[in-house]
Amino acid sequence: MTLVAATAGITPRRHRNLAQYIFVAPTVIVLALVVAAPLIYSIYLSFQEYIITYGMGDFAGLGNYIAVLSDDFANVSWVTLKLTALCVAIEFIVAFGLALLLNQPHLPGRSFYLLVLMIPVLMTPVAVALMFRLMFNPTLGIVNWLIGLAGIPPQGWFGDPNLALGTVVFVDVWHETSLMLLMLYAGLKAMPSEPVEAARIDGASRLQILLYVTWPLMKPVIMVTLLIRMIAALKSYDLIYMLTQGGPGKATETISFYAYRLGFRFLDIGQAAAVSFILLIVVTILTLVLLRTMREA
Amino acid sequence: MIGESRWVQWASHLILGGASAVILLPLLWVLRTSFADKVVAYQIPPDLFFAPTLDNYREVLLRFDFGSFFLNSLIVAMATTLIALMLGALAAYAIDRFRTGGPVMPLAILATQMMPPIVLVIPFFLIFKQVGLADTHVGLIITYLTFNLPYVVWLMMSFFKRVPRELDEAALIDGAGPFGVFWRIVLPAALPGIGAAGVLSFVLCWNEFLFALMLTGQQTKTLPVAISSLVTQQGTAIGAVCASTMLAIAPMVLVYFAIRKLLVAGLSLGAVKG
Repeated sequence: MTLVAATAGITPRRHRNLAQYIFVAPTVIVLALVVAAPLIYSIYLSFQEYIITYGMGDFAGLGNYIAVLSDDFANVSWVTLKLTALCVAIEFIVAFGLALLLNQPHLPGRSFYLLVLMIPVLMTPVAVALMFRLMFNPTLGIVNWLIGLAGIPPQGWFGDPNLALGTVVFVDVWHETSLMLLMLYAGLKAMPSEPVEAARIDGASRLQILLYVTWPLMKPVIMVTLLIRMIAALKSYDLIYMLTQGGPGKATETISFYAYRLGFRFLDIGQAAAVSFILLIVVTILTLVLLRTMREA
Repeated sequence: MIGESRWVQWASHLILGGASAVILLPLLWVLRTSFADKVVAYQIPPDLFFAPTLDNYREVLLRFDFGSFFLNSLIVAMATTLIALMLGALAAYAIDRFRTGGPVMPLAILATQMMPPIVLVIPFFLIFKQVGLADTHVGLIITYLTFNLPYVVWLMMSFFKRVPRELDEAALIDGAGPFGVFWRIVLPAALPGIGAAGVLSFVLCWNEFLFALMLTGQQTKTLPVAISSLVTQQGTAIGAVCASTMLAIAPMVLVYFAIRKLLVAGLSLGAVKG
């Protein structure tokens, strides 16, 4: 009897063991072909002299890396870091505040607010950028006309080196806050309600509840949200391409856009690959650091 | 007490209403301009009361052939999403239930999502030229799988987590094979999750720009690329740009109205708890 049960138990387990690998195989094979293989090819390219118009040249050693690091890299890293820090910080504060307001127990009009505030998530960055290019146009845009009504002289929103980065941050905040809001709001809704109720019955103020109950409970969600947004912001390309092309001068040039400019304007594939690979390393290191602080917290 | 909570209510509506206005006003402005004729579109101070015209939409659809770009976006987004769902659901199920690949597997999936697209665009650009995949739907679908497949696996893993394991075991005892359990028991139970993952993946593809910009040409241009080229070609063809922007947003907003609840559920489970 026990023997029968044991053998009957073995066969399906073996099936399952084989089956799980068959289930995973297609995904692993596809990702190896479309992600790992091009990545390895790109690393190889970064060590080659390769200018599209001349074709593949000699092995360059670290030549491409030395060239790009000594050239514009300090500037584009600084721009990328400023942009990422400003966008993530502002978007988080706005999104968390709005999520808390939306999560109040009795709030008439909640579904309307949610509906409107989610629209930007669905928009392609190209459309967002075009919209604001029109509105911020120095002569034909409505923004300069509106501030003119208040007596403020017209501004070159994307043309003034002192304003351009700020304007790009504004457009990014307009576009990306929604996604953070959605994630934080979903996290608040999934939070157990008993601790907040208990604190309220004990006479805690709204601020006390926020600081000592909601914040600790939400911490994992907040960390994941910040991580996801930070990784995306470090890769910023679309908005830069559409809004400023990295200008004026190099005031808004990010690492991604720099790699694009080297590869597809200057046709230097070797250097472009080197920059893109450095970006990958930066993103990986920052992610690991953030994951570690998350685990400690 | 009542006085305080009423004050909080007013302040909440003031802030939420203000935020909603910040989102809506630019969109309404573009919508308004998309119906303006050439003279009105360029007028500053703006004319708020004018006879609306469909000329911009006519120009965008007929002269610039936006219908075919629309179709390109649809083909690529649908195909990528279907492939990602089919492969991704199977893999996610195995990773969740059997820990296939050990603790490395979820990390590897997450790592592929960190990959900046510029890293992959350079090799794809060269390879596609060599093998004739430049300016083809198949080529673009391949590149979209790089970010979509891991995304779907990641989302689906958390959906399958919510399907109780007892269901699997009961079906196994009843004599179902591993694929039977997945196909007839677990998949139907996770269907809302699959719907949400599908929609999110579709939106991601529909809005993608960098791969499409570098790897498509006249044949396979997607909507975002077509709109961006409209700007550089036409200088400031304000009306046409507004109309094409509206055409790109409209389908996503319609999809969104249809699946709002799924979207909140999808993100609360997938992205946050993952």
